Amino acid sequence: MCHDMIEVEKMGKPAVPIVSGRFEDDALASSRTFGMPDLQFVIVPRIYRNLADDLCVSQTEDAIDDLIASLTSDGTQAAQSDNDESTLRFEGEDRYDAVLKMNREFTVRDWSDALPILPPTREAVEKLIEGTNLDANDIVCDMPPGFGIATVEQIAINSAMAGAKPEHMPIIIAAVKCLSVTGGHGGKSMLMSTSPQAPMLVVNGPIAKKVGLNGGSALGPGRENEINITIGRAFYLCLKNIGMWYPHKMDMDTIGTTRKFVPCLAENEDASPWASYASDRGFSDDRSAVSIFTTNGELDVQDQGNTSAEGLLKTLAYGITFGNRSVGHLQSQERLIFMPPDVALPVAAEGWSKEDAKNFIFEHAYGSLGKFIQFMPAKDARVEEEWQWIRGKTEQELLDTTIPLLASPDKIDIVVVGADRAKTLVFPTGPSPETIGIDQYLP
Amino acid sequence: MHLLEVSNPVAQQRGMINIFKPNPRPSSLDGKTIGLIWSGTHGGDLALNRAGEMIQERFSNVSVNFYTGGNYPTPPAVVKQAAKECDLVIGATAD
Repeated sequence: MCHDMIEVEKMGKPAVPIVSGRFEDDALASSRTFGMPDLQFVIVPRIYRNLADDLCVSQTEDAIDDLIASLTSDGTQAAQSDNDESTLRFEGEDRYDAVLKMNREFTVRDWSDALPILPPTREAVEKLIEGTNLDANDIVCDMPPGFGIATVEQIAINSAMAGAKPEHMPIIIAAVKCLSVTGGHGGKSMLMSTSPQAPMLVVNGPIAKKVGLNGGSALGPGRENEINITIGRAFYLCLKNIGMWYPHKMDMDTIGTTRKFVPCLAENEDASPWASYASDRGFSDDRSAVSIFTTNGELDVQDQGNTSAEGLLKTLAYGITFGNRSVGHLQSQERLIFMPPDVALPVAAEGWSKEDAKNFIFEHAYGSLGKFIQFMPAKDARVEEEWQWIRGKTEQELLDTTIPLLASPDKIDIVVVGADRAKTLVFPTGPSPETIGIDQYLP
Repeated sequence: MHLLEVSNPVAQQRGMINIFKPNPRPSSLDGKTIGLIWSGTHGGDLALNRAGEMIQERFSNVSVNFYTGGNYPTPPAVVKQAAKECDLVIGATAD
């Protein structure tokens, strides 16, 4: 709403958003992001969304004097910059002590993930910049959600903190660029959501093997995932310090999720019976690409004995049928399936293509409309035109109505990942993923 | 002693390059048209309508227009309409 009010101000009219207390830092950060750091706003203590009607009214009444004051008097706030130092200096008894002090300061400023980081020295940053054909000052994009200017140098600084190597830089740069074209305004609304939406990076093509990305048991901690973790972490630090994805400012998550330690992995192309995910998106096998999915949870869908294509895919179809089904203007309504070879291979062996599998899963993923939409009362203004007929139905009628989980088979993405077990990992996702070529950033 | 020099990881924000200042406020809301923009989320409409009522109680000849695009961000056409038709605008997202 700060964005909308700033748009009104830019059209020449005073505008004031009413902001819930927990969102004060978000309002300040958004005001900076959209170019009006002195935007006036009014604070109320509680979030309206989950308040009873009488409390919505009473807390507004309590704030009316502040609201009128902000409409009738010019504000006195002044834009302040708290980040003018291009170089930071830390003195220690020795280098180790100085690095510890740097780590403490970066954690206090919330510039890291609170795990130890490596120092982004001039030498380390310059070495990483050699890993791409771009120059230090080249601008890759304005990175959401805060639209910091993602120069190659700034990406390298954050990548150095994560311990990235020069050969990782083309992947990291492509991922930063990819985020900026994902969803509306670069997925800004998703990233700033009060739900745990988080990016997931999937790499396809020759570069994955070249740098050592894992496509087997690819999401856990440990030695075999060193490169996965390093590249994901570099991307996360870029998202934080370039995209301004700071908790309680532009990341308004209610509880949070470990998926915000951004996962990165390769598709297990060697074990897949089908064309790669990037190939589905128009990239030939000799080209490398990174895709970004915005995940909103995860679930293990295990199979304990089915061996036929139909049996395995029914397990998947029933397994992915959980959670909500949006009937309003919400984007989180897709499924990403990390399908292990022990599911993909027997399915393909019976002659099923990836499209066949997606169609079958879609056709068998049905559930109760009443259960799907319980989270959003039918009177909600965001219910779309095509669904407004639900307002005339009883609760029981809605519970007895079955509908597809997803709008169409293309809301399902299949990526072959994993070791030799029939344990599929499923993620609710949205907005739709994007894919960017990596080779354009090779040195 | 060891001096460690490192680069600042925080980028410059595009929005802070060309800063806009808020518009001057009127001294009174008498005779003004107030726009209320609702994101569509539960409770925000109640807040805005009550705020509009209270402003009408405290000032004379105040008109109130209610707008919603059913979601946030509000569709640009709705924002533009509110800015065109009203003297001042209040918004609420409900969170």
